[in-house]
Amino acid sequence: MSFKLRFKLVYKLLKLLKKGAEADIYLTLWDGKKAILKIRQKKDYRNEILDKRIRMQRTVRESEIISDIKSFGVRSPLVYFVDPKKCEIYIQYVDGTSVKDLSNPKIIKTCEEIGKIVGLLHKNGIMHGDLTTSNFIVQKGKVFVIDFGLAQRTDKTEDHAIDLRLFKEILNSAHAHIMEKAWISFLKGYKKIVGISRHNRVLIQVSVIESRGRYANVV
Amino acid sequence: MLGLGIESTAHTFSCAILEKKGKKGKILSDIRKIYRPPDGEGIHPREASRHHAENSPEVLSECLKKAGVKMTDLDIISYAAGPGLGPCLRIGAVVARSLASYYKIPIYPVNHALGHIELGKMLTGAKDPLVLLVSGGHTMILAFLSKKWRVFGETLDITLGQLLDQIGRSAGFASPCGTKIEELASKSTNYVNLPYVVKGNDVSFSGLLSATKQIIPKGLEDACFSLQETAFAMIGEATERALSFTGKKELLIVGGVAANKRLSEILQSVCKRHNCKFFVSPREYAGDCGSQISWTGLLESSTKQGVPIEETFVRQSWRLDTVEVMY
Repeated sequence: MSFKLRFKLVYKLLKLLKKGAEADIYLTLWDGKKAILKIRQKKDYRNEILDKRIRMQRTVRESEIISDIKSFGVRSPLVYFVDPKKCEIYIQYVDGTSVKDLSNPKIIKTCEEIGKIVGLLHKNGIMHGDLTTSNFIVQKGKVFVIDFGLAQRTDKTEDHAIDLRLFKEILNSAHAHIMEKAWISFLKGYKKIVGISRHNRVLIQVSVIESRGRYANVV
Repeated sequence: MLGLGIESTAHTFSCAILEKKGKKGKILSDIRKIYRPPDGEGIHPREASRHHAENSPEVLSECLKKAGVKMTDLDIISYAAGPGLGPCLRIGAVVARSLASYYKIPIYPVNHALGHIELGKMLTGAKDPLVLLVSGGHTMILAFLSKKWRVFGETLDITLGQLLDQIGRSAGFASPCGTKIEELASKSTNYVNLPYVVKGNDVSFSGLLSATKQIIPKGLEDACFSLQETAFAMIGEATERALSFTGKKELLIVGGVAANKRLSEILQSVCKRHNCKFFVSPREYAGDCGSQISWTGLLESSTKQGVPIEETFVRQSWRLDTVEVMY
């Protein structure tokens, strides 16, 4: 099938799944298989130059990193096609449940797996940048990680600590009832992968970042 | 029920009297005196507290007079107990304590940030909003969940108000500088590349501050324009992330920077994208004022007794997410 024809077919079958914060997520078909089309739409509230810079950079970076991480065993959707000019990515559709929507005991349990995944990413010099419970999908007991729009290649302890702090913040705000248990479970998984000394180093940096926050630690 | 509120966390010394009937509130009076540091300088806590001390009698008597209320008519007195500048907070607390003990009126310490939110909700009618609190002391995205305001995103370093003020001061303006920057920004459309830092739901402005200072010599108006575009777009994105994560159908902006038109415009566009209602505090009550303290005190008095005088502390770094909301 020619590219043009395939595109026509694809566009016919678009169904908006979610209007995300920075991209619209459509359900579509790619080669007869269910696929996700992620479009980073132009945002009219953002200055045009700034907007274009952000959208292109994130599209390219996301598609690179989402593929790279498979080489060290992190489950993520396959990338089918990338159009940096239109800021579009076609990726594999992962049919599962977002961790955010699981029952509380299951969230706590899955957090250990999430900890392992984040540990693997960090060990291989990748920061996810947007670690929320809605960015992990459970499919038949296997955990997939999605949304690498804010991901970066970095080995800095500070950057890895930012990842952890964000996850902690999300647990604190959206899953307040199980925050303690979920966080302990996450750290257990994280420690298993990165080892005790790195785990401690990153955690210390997390408290450094927290103390930088407004009204966090003064008197 | 009548409540006096005393606000003195930073620049502003303000007294306000509100009346609460059922769930409805009415502002009877709100008098303010604002400390103005010399051009190009920031707030000096000692000087600000001196200003507050000197002006407190006048503000208080004017507030009573305008409301047509006598001290003995008051049911409760509330004061801003934090977060804020220690010397300034103490002035408000001293005034509140003296009045409460002399007239034997119950006294309530109130969290200043909570005050912004509660007054915003009262004035706009927002029910269950995602709140964006942007001021000199705060840059936070909050949502209410089981008795507390939970932080979904915040600044990792300086606040939006500080960013604008520090840029303004380095250009020699009198702080607060938000209005002046907005005015200059409207004269340019030339965008200069500046660092855009969104980390999940959080933002960081420190790099943007340094980078903007460097481009000021090349053109102040361009710098102001690019600064606003970048900083507000960051806030817009962080808010969008929080909206899409929480699924809230209302957005409320409160705090001093809420008065900025460009920011409102950006957030309105965000709301449109997410089919969400947009509320913004009226300009007059967006910034620090006694009403926010008085109203929150009145709300608290519906479930709590006043605090014994010996426990009426001020807390300079009293984080909003540690306050339990019982009403």
